[in-house]
Amino acid sequence: MSRPQQQTPGIGSALRAWLGFTILLTAHFAVRPLFDGRANVDFIVIAILFSAVRMRPGLAALIGFLTGLAVDALAPGSFGASALVLTLIAFGASWLKAVFFADHVALTGLFVFAGKWLFDIAMTLLTGGASGASLVVTLLLWSPLSAALTALLAVVLLTVFRPLYRPHTS
Amino acid sequence: MARSVRSDGRLDTGLALVCVILAVLALILPRRTREGLAATLRTSVLSPLVALEGRASSVRAAVVARNDVLVTRGLVATQALQVKAVADENSTLRKLLGLSARLQDGFVPAELLPPRGAGDEFTIALATGSDAGVQPFLPVVTADGLVGMVQSVDRATSFAITWAHPDFRVSAMSVDEGAFGIVQPHLGAGAERWLLEMRGVPFRAKLEPGTLIVSSGLGATYPRGIPIGTVLGELSTPEKWARTYLVKPSVLPEAIGPVLVLLSLRTQRGVNGVWTTVSAADSAARAVAAAGDSLARAAALDELAARRTALDAAADTLADSTLAFVAGGRVTAADSARADSSARADSARVRIRADSGARPRVRRDSSKLRPTVPPPVTPPTTRTGPPPAVR
Repeated sequence: MSRPQQQTPGIGSALRAWLGFTILLTAHFAVRPLFDGRANVDFIVIAILFSAVRMRPGLAALIGFLTGLAVDALAPGSFGASALVLTLIAFGASWLKAVFFADHVALTGLFVFAGKWLFDIAMTLLTGGASGASLVVTLLLWSPLSAALTALLAVVLLTVFRPLYRPHTS
Repeated sequence: MARSVRSDGRLDTGLALVCVILAVLALILPRRTREGLAATLRTSVLSPLVALEGRASSVRAAVVARNDVLVTRGLVATQALQVKAVADENSTLRKLLGLSARLQDGFVPAELLPPRGAGDEFTIALATGSDAGVQPFLPVVTADGLVGMVQSVDRATSFAITWAHPDFRVSAMSVDEGAFGIVQPHLGAGAERWLLEMRGVPFRAKLEPGTLIVSSGLGATYPRGIPIGTVLGELSTPEKWARTYLVKPSVLPEAIGPVLVLLSLRTQRGVNGVWTTVSAADSAARAVAAAGDSLARAAALDELAARRTALDAAADTLADSTLAFVAGGRVTAADSARADSSARADSARVRIRADSGARPRVRRDSSKLRPTVPPPVTPPTTRTGPPPAVR
């Protein structure tokens, strides 16, 4: 599979992308703790996916790795797991962005849903936090719910903050 | 161009591979090293995010704590209400038990059945009937006093009108038996609808607010001595030959709970001494008033004795001076006049004070001791004429 031709984003688009990423990263630490539940919105995944579609795969992987390290630093029991998973997700998202036509809202929602679900599956398997029936429930119930919530929020963000999160609009 | 794209692709892949290797290394690092690395990150570049997360967690904790406080407060309020209701019921039942003990026999305890709805607030349904000996026209009472009268009876249930029913009438009297009348509902508007009025009280019988009204025993339904209410004040009516008083019921509507139905034999035997609390209170009041009367009476008798002594002394003086005048003839006219006027004044004083002592100015039934005011003493009049002839 040959990778499609990349378009180089302008300075304004890059700045908006970084601003959107910073806002989502801040929201992950400022808003997410307010809602304590099994199914949570993952602002980090949204930030990684939204920024990955505007970057080259290598840079996206680096951003995913550093963001994952930040998340791991706050949960040292699974230090490195988030970094590994987010690296792979960011690299894959950046690689596949042309396939998924990131400007399409519904496809973007599906994209985020899949990315979040994959992230949860990988994290659950890597950290080994659940087993047996609990593992099944986590992977097939709570993870899809979290992924759906995250995708819903991503679609809302994409709709409301169109210039901030839609690539190639400048 | 193709080489550039290929080299970019290699660079991207290489960068991704490096990141993956670093992540795996972080994952397999010894625990102590991982924790040290995480701590270094938390205290350096991630410190603002850590502070942000901590603040958000505090906000959530505060919200949760407030919710917990509200829930706890609601639970406490609910429990407090239940405790008060239980305490009230306990108090009512204790008083009813006390009344039952004083009555000893001749009554039927009855629970109230739920009210049947609006428009029936003056009738109560009792969970006892003719099987227990209940008959129409039997009085219904609580420990506080009279509730009403049984109106109709089934085998297991009965219905009674309360004192608020428009047909309710009871012959009543003040507890000191100073005034008699007929107590009936006060058909006023609003809250006054739940008051009673005592009609037909003789005009000379003045009742003070707070006076206890009890059933008089006249008629065949209510025995003598059941508390009905207390006087609130006099009502102005066109009937000028009799007084009407507003009476606050002893048994308030919301306090009507379990009741006792007095059976016929008990009604005929009377209930004297059953409502001991009110009778005792009234007896105590009368005893205090009587004690005050006796003290006043004793003081008046002491004063009377003292004045009699003074009278005797004055009479002796008068006799001596008269004898001296008759015998010696050396008494001057002025001396005679002074002696005469003194004797008259004393006699007048003694007569007046003796009268006042014989009738102390304290009413027997008055609960308030009135001080005895000595009568005004007429000053001795000086006569300028010749001395009167001594008889």
